[in-house]
Amino acid sequence: MPLGEMGALLLVLVAICIFGNLWFHLIEAILKWIKKQLTRHREPPAWHTLPSDEEDRGNG
Amino acid sequence: MGLFSKLFKGPEIDMEKSQANAKKMRALFNHVVEDGDQYRLIFGYTEDVSRFNYGFVHGSKTKIGNLIVGWNEANQTIVVVPTVPDLSGCGDPAWYRRSEILKAYRSKYPTDAFVIYPNAKEYIGINAYDWLDDEKLYVYVSQDEELAAFTDFFMNQFATK
Repeated sequence: MPLGEMGALLLVLVAICIFGNLWFHLIEAILKWIKKQLTRHREPPAWHTLPSDEEDRGNG
Repeated sequence: MGLFSKLFKGPEIDMEKSQANAKKMRALFNHVVEDGDQYRLIFGYTEDVSRFNYGFVHGSKTKIGNLIVGWNEANQTIVVVPTVPDLSGCGDPAWYRRSEILKAYRSKYPTDAFVIYPNAKEYIGINAYDWLDDEKLYVYVSQDEELAAFTDFFMNQFATK
């Protein structure tokens, strides 16, 4: 296979890879947005932040 | 020590950082679990693997969930608290009492996970290692002794088969 053809094939493969990545992230973004719309009225799960040293000593 | 062993020696554990994180794990655990000091702790994680098919692009995604795992031998209880790699906070604890669970066993495939089924519909697979280097994904803590103790407890006292 001539060098030019090999280069062209490589370029096509790179283009397919880039397009595949863009497609994946586009679909992910759309699905994330839809999920956010559906769950925005739901309460977020409880989250407790790391207690400070003083607070920790106070409890202990 | 030769030149090659210096060049190719594996990663070394920063024990200061590990101990600081072990203290944070304890503080978080005790913050959300009553009588937290009655439990010994290890760090574990769960893997949520999902397959996707977006037309011509398909594959699988893995989400890692960090966990502080506490166990109490006297009560035959495991408590799991979700957290994040930097230990800035944690979620609500989940209790798994041996007398109440459906089954518990150690899986061999695809990973050596500690699997607990609280009922027929839910399960949790806890993966644990003595140390994991990737701080972006996992809590940086060295825990050989604690992991050995947890494995012994799980296999000999908690597992149902």
